[in-house]
This record gives sequence, C-alpha cells and structure tokens, in this order.
Amino acid sequence: MEKAALLRVGVLVLVVLAVLTAVEYWVAVGGLGGATLTLLALLALAKAALIVDYFMHVGKLFQPESGGH
Amino acid sequence: MSVIKGLIFGLVGFAIGEGLAFLVGQDPFSDTAITLGYIFFLIGWLLGAGVWDHWARGWFGLKDKPTPTLASNGWMRYLMFSTDHKVIGVQYLVTFVALFLLAGLLAMVIRIQLLNPNGPLDPQTYNTVMSFHGIVMIAVAVATMIGGLGNYFVPLLIGAEDVAFPRINALSYWFVPPVAILLVIGSLLPGGFQSGWRVYAPWAERVGPSMLLFLMAFLTFGVSSILGGLNFLVTIIRLRAPGMTWGRLPIFVWGIFSAALLSLIFTQFVATALLMEILDRVVGMAFFAPDQGGGAVLYQHIFWVYSHPAVYVMILPGFGLMLEIITHFARKPLFGYKWAVGALLGIVGLSDIVWVHHMFTSGLPDFINAAFMTATELISIPTGLIFLCALGTIWQARMRLTTPMLFALGFVFNFAIGGLTGIFNADVPTDLHLHNTYWVVGHFHYTIMGGEIFALLAGMYYWFPKITGRMYNEALGKLHFWITFITFNLIFAPMMLTGLFGMNRHVAEYPPELGGINQFISLFSFVLGAGFLVFVYNMVTALVRGPKAVANPWQLRTLEWHTSSPPPEHNFHHLPQVLAHPYDYGVEGVPAHAVVAAGAAAAPASE
Amino acid sequence: MTTAIAELKYQIYNRRLGLWLFMLSDSMVFLALLAARYYMQGTHRPPEVNQPLGLVLTSILLASSFFANRADASIAHGDRAAFLRHIGITIVLGVAFLILVVAVEWPEALHFAPPSTGYGTALFSLTGLHATHVLSGVIVLLFALLKGKRGGYTAEDHFGAEGSIIYWHFVDLVWVFIYPTLYLVG
Repeated sequence: MEKAALLRVGVLVLVVLAVLTAVEYWVAVGGLGGATLTLLALLALAKAALIVDYFMHVGKLFQPESGGH
Repeated sequence: MSVIKGLIFGLVGFAIGEGLAFLVGQDPFSDTAITLGYIFFLIGWLLGAGVWDHWARGWFGLKDKPTPTLASNGWMRYLMFSTDHKVIGVQYLVTFVALFLLAGLLAMVIRIQLLNPNGPLDPQTYNTVMSFHGIVMIAVAVATMIGGLGNYFVPLLIGAEDVAFPRINALSYWFVPPVAILLVIGSLLPGGFQSGWRVYAPWAERVGPSMLLFLMAFLTFGVSSILGGLNFLVTIIRLRAPGMTWGRLPIFVWGIFSAALLSLIFTQFVATALLMEILDRVVGMAFFAPDQGGGAVLYQHIFWVYSHPAVYVMILPGFGLMLEIITHFARKPLFGYKWAVGALLGIVGLSDIVWVHHMFTSGLPDFINAAFMTATELISIPTGLIFLCALGTIWQARMRLTTPMLFALGFVFNFAIGGLTGIFNADVPTDLHLHNTYWVVGHFHYTIMGGEIFALLAGMYYWFPKITGRMYNEALGKLHFWITFITFNLIFAPMMLTGLFGMNRHVAEYPPELGGINQFISLFSFVLGAGFLVFVYNMVTALVRGPKAVANPWQLRTLEWHTSSPPPEHNFHHLPQVLAHPYDYGVEGVPAHAVVAAGAAAAPASE
Repeated sequence: MTTAIAELKYQIYNRRLGLWLFMLSDSMVFLALLAARYYMQGTHRPPEVNQPLGLVLTSILLASSFFANRADASIAHGDRAAFLRHIGITIVLGVAFLILVVAVEWPEALHFAPPSTGYGTALFSLTGLHATHVLSGVIVLLFALLKGKRGGYTAEDHFGAEGSIIYWHFVDLVWVFIYPTLYLVG
C-alpha cells in the first residue's frame, strides 16, 4: 500500500478506537444497568479486532509468499 | 565452557538479587530474597551459558561468536551452547536419561518404604522422595521424547537443515540445568517437598523455602517447554523439503506437531498457576485464600487446564513413534494414515475440555461433572482409531521383531490396559471410589510408563545407529525388553488391585493386610530397576566398541536413513526431493520416498 | 539476486510466524488471570476505583499504538527519520504509562484494595504482569531505535523494527481487555 494511504488508515483506526473507548466509558459510568458486561465484552472485542487487523497486520500471516510489506 | 561460565555468572546474579533484597530489608532466606536471587541467577546463568556470546552481542552492534557444531570441539561441544539441533538433541537425551535413572532410583526407595506397612522413612521424607520422583518423571516424559528425539529427528524426517530458530532451541535446553539445580537443593532443605508434583494450594504455599524452589523449578521448566513447542511448530510448518506435503509427513512428525501445539498453548496455564502461588507467597496475594476473596479450587482448575493436556504432550509423540516403528518393521503401508493424523488432531481438540475429571471429588456441581465425564469419554474415539491403525498395520504382516519393534508392540499391549482402566476414572460414580488410590497410580503408569516410556525406549534403540554410527547388541536389547515388559506388568497390575482394596497414594503407610501384595510389587520393581542396568551396559558398550552402522541398517524409506550415520553438519549433502509417501512398502510402482542428489530439487520452497 | 530476496522474505515470514505463536501462547497467561478475576470476584468493583485514571491510561496506550503504527509504515517505505521520530514518541508514551501505573495507580490502590484482598489480587497481578510486558516492550523498542539510528533497517529488511512494533501493539491489545475488567464492569 502507498505510504500516505497507510497513514490515513492509521488515523481512521485511531479515531474509531477513541470513539469505542468513549462509548465504553459512557456505558460503564453512565450506567446502562445489567447489560454492561456483555456490552463491554463486545466493545473490547471490536477494539481488539481493529488492532489485530490494522495495527498488527495479522493478514500477512496468511500471505507467506509476500514476505515484507 | 558454557556450564562453568554459566554457573559463575549465575552465582553473581544470585548475589545481586540477594543484595537487592538485603537493601530493602529482607532476610536472605525469605521468599522475596530467594525469588529475587533466583531471577537474577537465571538471567546470569543464561547469559553466561551462551546467550551473551552467541546472541545478545548482536543487539548492541557487536559481532556474535561462532557456536560449536557437530564437527567441532570434540565431545566438549555437548557442554557448550550449540545451535545444531543434533547436538541439542543429544544434550536433551543424555540429560533426561540421567534424570530418568535418578528418578527410577527414587522409585526404588519408594518401594523399599512400601515393603512393610510401616517403612523406615518418616512421612515427610517419604513425601519428598515421592514428589521428587513425580516431578522428575513428568519432566522426563514431557521433554525426552520432544526435546531429545524430536530435536534430533524432526528436521531429518522433513528434510531440513536445522530447526527454524536454532538459538531459541539452544535456549530451551539451557533452561533445564537450573531446574535440576533447584530441585536437588530444594529436596535437601528442611521441609522438603510435601505436596506431590501437583503442588496443590494452599499446602504448597505454607511450607518453607524448599517448596518455593520447587515452584520456581516447575515454572522454569514450563518456559523451556513453551519455547520448544514454538520452535517445532514453525519448523514443521515452514521447513519441509520440496515435495514433503502435509499428506506425506511421517506420523512421528505429526505426533510432535500435535504435542507442540498443546505445549505452546496450555503450558502457560500451569505457568500462571505456579506464578499465582509464588505471588501468594512472596507478595501476599489472595488467589487461593477463599477467606480473603480468593478461590478454593481455583488452583485445581488452572493447574488441570494444563496438566490434562500435558499427558497428551507426553503420549502423542509416543503414539506417533509407535506407529512409525510398527509400520517400518511390519514393512507394510501404515493402515489408515489419514485417520491416524485425524485422531492425533482430534485428541488435541478434545484434550482441553476434559480437565474436571481430575476434580470429581472437589465438590463441583453435578451438571459440570457430567459434562466433563462425557467429554472425557469422547477421547476414547480418537484413541481407539490410533489402536485400529496399529492393529491394521500388524494384521497379516511378516514382522521383523527387532528390539524397537518389541517395545512398540509392548506399547500397544500396555496402553490398551492403561486406556481401559482409565474409563473407570472418567466415570464419576466409579471415580468417587477410586480417586487418590493406587488404582490411579497403576492406571497412569500403564499409560505413561507402559506407553510413552516404552515408545521412548523403542525410539532410542531404533535411532541409536543413526545417532552414534554404531550398532547396539540385539540380544541384550531383547533381554532388556522382556525384563521390562514382564516385570512392568507384574508391578502395575497388582498395584491397581491394592487401589481397589483402598490403598491411598501419597501416604507413607498402608493397612497391614496389604503387606503381601506390596512385597510382591516391590520385589519385581527391583528386578525392573536392575533391567535398566542391562540397558545402560548395552548403550555404553555399543557406543565404545559396537560394530559400525551403515547409513540405512534396516532398509527403511524415511529421510533420516538417506544420510550418513551420524549425519553431516547440515544433515544432507543435497537438498532432498520428496517423491512419495513414507510408508509405501511393497506397493507396486511407487518410487522411493525421496531422492537426495545434486540437482534433484531446484530451489528452497516454502510449500 | 532474486533468490537472495526470496530467502530474505522466507526468513522474515518464519520469524513473524514465530512471533505470532509466541503472542498466542503469552495471551493464555492473561486469559487465565482474567478468568481468575471473574472466578474470584464476579463483577465486583470497589467504589474507590479511579475510573478517570483508567481512561487516561487507556488513552496513552492507544496513542502510543497509533505512533507505533506510523513508525511501522515509515520504515516500510525506507523513511528512517520519520521512523525514529515516531518510535521515540511511542517510547515516551510507554514510559509515561509505566510511571502512571507504578507511581499513581498502585499507591492509590494500596489504600482501598491491597494485594491481600480479592479485588487487589486481581488488580495487582493483572496490572503488574501487564506492566512487565510494557517494560519489555519499551526495552525492545529502544533496541529498535538504536539499531535504526545505526542505519540497521531498510525498506526490505527491517523485521527487528516490525516485530517489536507488533509486540507493542500486543501489549496494547492485552490492555483492551484488562481495562474494562478492572475499571468498568460492576
């Protein structure tokens, strides 16, 4: 991928992660009642998926031939 | 020399750790001081043993020193930080066979104690001996097959030059000596090991520093096991020779692959359980103190999440090696190769959802016990497949009854008994009666000793000519087999009987009416122990003056027999090209498993 | 020449696979500790827990991950100066995180949840183990920084940098689960 495009994706992912983190905080502190554990687990999984895919580039594991970038 | 340098660096590290503890006002024999001292000892030991010279210098922009190879430094290379998988394999084998014999001697001590209902040892010493025997044999069962035979032969069997990460491979071996040092020192300290190898909380948290050493030794061994598993996985996935597809992989390599997968994922749980006990002791945490908010059987859960898969870490390479040897000496294609592979992977899948069958008496709700009982019994399906594969291969074969073949056949017999007796431990109603009796002791010795150790002995005879370049004495080998096989069964079958009569394990005394049967067991134990003198004599004399072995003394197909005995530094003089299945003996029109010749394979391929 | 590049890519992939397997294995420790937290305490959380501090810690780690990602993209395109700059920011944020945990969070927690209580056990074991991972991450990033300064990385051959950055993201990934477990649930 082009460097500029890579950096744009990075900014986008950061924004989404920040929004999810804010939602988490609001869910817990604002108090959505009994549903928080499930909701928090789902939000954490969403954040984790973003990090694993866009920051850690898990996809490269499935492209043995491409080697570097 | 790595050992001496490692010890010196380690002792310096120990002094640093103890000094730090002294500075924060800790008694030198307190848990905190010992833990700090050991952490720095371990770092110093690893740096001195070779991590600094051959690895870490590169991180600082310096040049790493060359490591010894199979061709350099004479026999001293076995005391050095070698990255050659063959040297490391021999290091593992020699270390762990020595530990095996030591733990065997401790078993003799146990049997002397149990000659009489009130033996000569006091209960605490007996428990130390029993725990020491247990943990060392666990280590032997986990590491000898994978670390020794696996290290030496997986790269050879897949046609690779070495493992994927040779330095990590060396590192995982050099974690082992500190384990042995800690265990020996700990067993001699007052208090000893009182808890058995399982180190259940809270007892393991309340005995003096000896128990802390045991916990740290176990944890260190776990780290070594994880690194080994990681290395094998990458090696098998990536370093196969051209043409060595997954469907042509020798079954022993599949066994190691499955075990490495389990070891990589589940060893972390026992490491965590032990870490929690250490944190409870050193920092005063409350993991296993229910009165402070901890969990009463939390330790058992986390411990058995690992320690049940651990028995498959032991036995899956054993299954693989047994099938491998039976196929070669039956000189027939392996019956149901794909089913055998499926069974190995099926066991990997099931082994992580069965741990509660070790806890049927721990007071969990019935619906949990029932679920785990069902899952446990499901494991008999893949295990049964492995048996059918072995029996189908033997069926109507003209077998060559060499020593390795005899041991492999002994495995099949013993493990059948071990498996069938296990059903009674998997069933909740019968297990409530059998739990913690000698029935369980007999059962797991049938599976681990009668199975895994038999496979290990088979493997050592089988590959002895390849490793040493010399041939052992076949007559002595067969003598060793018959002594081991007969006495083994005369020991552990009656032992299960004593369990049925209510004899408890982990106890130094027993009801007087069981005296006769225990004397019978002890008597044959001493014969079994003496049988290993034959083994040692045979190995040592063969090593010194056995007849020279040719490259392929048994006319077999797999790749390790396509190179000299012992193999050259990078295993093969040319890159092997794999053409056919490894076990197609007597099949019309099938070419050799592989050719190793100049120009046979063009370029290193990853798939 | 082409075989040399193929060999390099082959080696890099092996190391990447090894790193991922290591992280898979390592995450089991955190899985066991997280499970232990819920096993021991359910979703109980003492009211004194400093939720804003948790949010600050999370934000610092997320920001550091963002800069680590920029460093990764920079070195992959051979931009050494941008790589060094972004790795430097990542390390500073990592150190800030460590200081906040050790010097602010732990002294506070000692008052309402010492390690001898159930919640304190969970808090100190999880944050302690995570902090050792942060520390090791900072150290490997420092080595990557030094090697980058010496000119040790190129666009084709920079797995030392890439691997330490992936590991840094892993440290962040673990925190994504620790944060709600300790600060938000209950």
